[in-house]
Amino acid sequence: MFTTQMTQLFAVVLGKHCDRVTEALLSEGVMQFIRMSEFEGDRPDNLSTVKSQVSLTEISDLRRRIEGFLHAGGIIPSSPGQTDLNKRISVDVEKERSHLDKIAGERESVRERQRTIHQEMLKLEDLKRQVELYGMGLSDVTLPTRHSLISMQIGKLPVLNVKQLEDGLRGLPSLNIELGRENDMAHHLLISMRRDNEQVSSILAQAGWTRIELPGELRSVKKDVFKELSEKLKTLADEQKTLELKANDLVRKEEKHLKDVWVNLRVNELLHVIQTNFKSSSRTVIFTGWLPSSKKERLTEKIKKACEDLCYLEWNEAGSRDAVGDEVPVQFNNPKMLAPFQMLVSNFGIPQYGTIDPTPFVMPLYLSMFGLMFADVGQGLILTILGVLGAFLFGKNEGKKGLQRLSWLIIWCGSSSVVFGALFGSFFGTGLFEPLWFDFHGIISGHSSHSSVVNNVFDILSITIYFGISVIAIGLLFNWINLIRTGKWAELVFDKGGILGGWIYGGGVYIASYMIARNYKELPAGMTLFLLAGLPSLLLFIKEPYHYYEHRIEQSDKKSNVLLALPNFLMAWTVELLEIFSGYLSNTLSFMRVAGLGIAHVCLMISFFTLAGMTSGIGYVLILILGNILVIGLEGLTAGIQALRLSYYEFFTKFFHGTGKLYTPISLNYQL
Amino acid sequence: MAGPLSKYSFINAKLRARISKILPDDRLHQMEKAPSLDAALALLRETPFAGLEETYSQTGDLKQAELELLKNEIELYRGIREHVHRDSVELVDALLLQFEVDNLKNAIRVYFDGKIRQRSADAGTHYILYDRIIHDIPVDIILNADNFDEIAGVCEGTPYSEIIRKYHHTVESEGSLFRMEIAFDHFYYNNLLSSIKKLDRRDHTIALRLTGVEIDLQNIDWIIRLRNFYALPLDAVLATIVPGGLSLNRAIIDELYAAQNVTSVLSGFVKSEYPGLSALLSAQTSDSTSRLLLIRRILEEIMKQEVQRILAGYPFTIGIVLSYFILKKNELRRIRTILNAKQYGTKTATD
Repeated sequence: MFTTQMTQLFAVVLGKHCDRVTEALLSEGVMQFIRMSEFEGDRPDNLSTVKSQVSLTEISDLRRRIEGFLHAGGIIPSSPGQTDLNKRISVDVEKERSHLDKIAGERESVRERQRTIHQEMLKLEDLKRQVELYGMGLSDVTLPTRHSLISMQIGKLPVLNVKQLEDGLRGLPSLNIELGRENDMAHHLLISMRRDNEQVSSILAQAGWTRIELPGELRSVKKDVFKELSEKLKTLADEQKTLELKANDLVRKEEKHLKDVWVNLRVNELLHVIQTNFKSSSRTVIFTGWLPSSKKERLTEKIKKACEDLCYLEWNEAGSRDAVGDEVPVQFNNPKMLAPFQMLVSNFGIPQYGTIDPTPFVMPLYLSMFGLMFADVGQGLILTILGVLGAFLFGKNEGKKGLQRLSWLIIWCGSSSVVFGALFGSFFGTGLFEPLWFDFHGIISGHSSHSSVVNNVFDILSITIYFGISVIAIGLLFNWINLIRTGKWAELVFDKGGILGGWIYGGGVYIASYMIARNYKELPAGMTLFLLAGLPSLLLFIKEPYHYYEHRIEQSDKKSNVLLALPNFLMAWTVELLEIFSGYLSNTLSFMRVAGLGIAHVCLMISFFTLAGMTSGIGYVLILILGNILVIGLEGLTAGIQALRLSYYEFFTKFFHGTGKLYTPISLNYQL
Repeated sequence: MAGPLSKYSFINAKLRARISKILPDDRLHQMEKAPSLDAALALLRETPFAGLEETYSQTGDLKQAELELLKNEIELYRGIREHVHRDSVELVDALLLQFEVDNLKNAIRVYFDGKIRQRSADAGTHYILYDRIIHDIPVDIILNADNFDEIAGVCEGTPYSEIIRKYHHTVESEGSLFRMEIAFDHFYYNNLLSSIKKLDRRDHTIALRLTGVEIDLQNIDWIIRLRNFYALPLDAVLATIVPGGLSLNRAIIDELYAAQNVTSVLSGFVKSEYPGLSALLSAQTSDSTSRLLLIRRILEEIMKQEVQRILAGYPFTIGIVLSYFILKKNELRRIRTILNAKQYGTKTATD
């Protein structure tokens, strides 16, 4: 019900044991350190930070760099374990850095080659596009059409100059096809872009190119240029694919080494991070931090073992005068099955240390509201199956814990729908079986319910009002418990959610019930009215003067005049009363939305059945299937959101401030 | 006549859902810290930009990946165009025109580098869009043209033909394209402003305000470029500014050149309308380029605040569409900047 009890450790150990103690602290992974700068007043002087041979920045940079390589190769390294901590070795940062430089260099040269091939491909695609655009009969080596941007020529050059020609053309989009050889002369067909004519001419001249008509003996060699282009592109694409694999293989073949180094660096980094919270004198090291009280014995044992009993350990319970820092971290203390509801709570905020953790109460509250709004055995089963699928799909992925919890929430919600569906006798909107409680569907569609308690829509609305009153009352009770535990006595009495506020609310509920029971024609007796609402309202007037005098005492302010402050007291009192009366009234009526959405759910199903009734055969089935899909999607979402809204704004606001700080100890799983 | 609710309720819901998918700052900061381009791209896996990593690992060519990004951006505008009310289609088309104008500028640059400056410009031809955006522009012919007349001829029937004809002599005599490019920008913004004029009063005010800031940013960019790379006198620089800016008119820019402290000039509108930006104004800058860069930063902040104001305010206006475009543009700009910084090994802060 309450957050985990925390203890603060203040420790002094000898400098020579610093590394072993750090290792013990990381191994246990339970300490949330407090920086020594948070010491108030009696901050120890002449203390310096703990120095190490390799700086944290160097380790972190190298770790991140390796992580970058691994991620690029599609490898996600997992957090180090206890064995990694025990078997860790010191990493030669310089050596690893140069090793990474080598991999990066090799990878870059592969990328460079990829870029070159890509450029080549782009040039060929440029030519191919021209061929496609202007539809030239290149297979017959005809002259280019008037609009073509391609330049084609046939010529011969000395065989010895062929390589020079190829090198010269490399930077330009061109296709150079050898048509045949005659003695020491090679006959080539050259296709290039018209815009490059000047450059091409110069290259051809240097290579000894002589423009010719296609020799008769070679006319039979009908080269399909388009096919040639496509083949060349395919060859390049294959080479590109090989290079892509090679770039990934460069990381993969180093995977084991990189992972090992990463794990070592990670462990070293965590040890360094822990030591950044230490302060050292000439011979000693001090540190302090919070941990759950249940871990105290084990950590004491580990630290003493690490420093051979030569240490000073001081334990202070949260709230004690000797504890350092005001903010005690908060650890939730819930069973695993409540994880989806804890997610809803932590989305709103973290409870303050020592106050009530609402998670165990959110579960029944949220599920009851969801079930009331979305009561159907069949649709609930569908939701449950969807949730199970989600949990199965995301269960194996560590990075998708949020979605995994959401899936579990859907399973819970689906189960709640099944239960409430059974209570109201609804199965995919049909009354397939007798309701265990009352016939919700029958009441909405105008049939009489056989229940002695719930017979019409107003009775359904009343259920949700009573439900709302109970939720608000529990919220107020929790607030009082929190205020008592934190010793805020004035707030306990005078706060809107305090005893006087609760008294007025209780009185209001009684008066409303009394009037309803008498058909709104009679109020309780004057004295009863005064005791229920008048007296607490008058007592509430004390709040402002009380704060006024408290402030005067704190500030030693004797000059302010009480008479001048009186109008302020009156104004604050009036506003507070208005807030209490209107606030509680709207808070309670807000729960009517639960009935409203439940009614809407039934109405939607009735509408789909009416629509289906206008058709027959496959149309009937299709409308019902689509209707159910729509209701599950739309109503399911709406019911989920409204249940959350009521939990957050009508329940949490009564007692839950959400200003706590989550307990995040430095452990091997710690996210830097 | 359709009311704002029927015009914008659907697109508002759609775009708000899409806005929630814009990469969060955390992810972009992680990318900034990534030790290499490969590592930065790996962070885009499982995001709408996963295709960038795929393209890069297939080709090793970041420019190719950027081209894919540009194509996606154009598709994004086209996609929104399908969903907006018919009254807003003209505005989306006007915005889509920016891609066509930029593409045409790139094509003319390639032609200009190859033909006039006699430099090899083949690499540039591969990163140009050849498909139709708004008008039919035969980019292939522009790239291979013999002269500007040929380019103007093939652009006949588009608004660009006249601009090319008007400026090509200046471009050839000055050996620089900037006057023609500025004319293209003027055309784009004039067209945008005239499509804004056709909107109803509320939309008109919002669109004018957001476009005004964008024009200011564009003007500042031009002024910085012209000052630093063309060493033009102030009068010549001021003659190039696009009218319709929100905060910076000729007189203010004139003053900014001379003033040592931007506070005196900008305090009028920044302090009254954007008090949160006053801290930026206190910066002392030694030269006019630094002052212009500072103003650019202030304008970017103003744009952010305007977008936030729209997103937090009445939802059924053209503001939601324009805000989405601005947010997406900003997101893509940041991604491009980070990836290029990683490629060339420079540090970056993209905020």
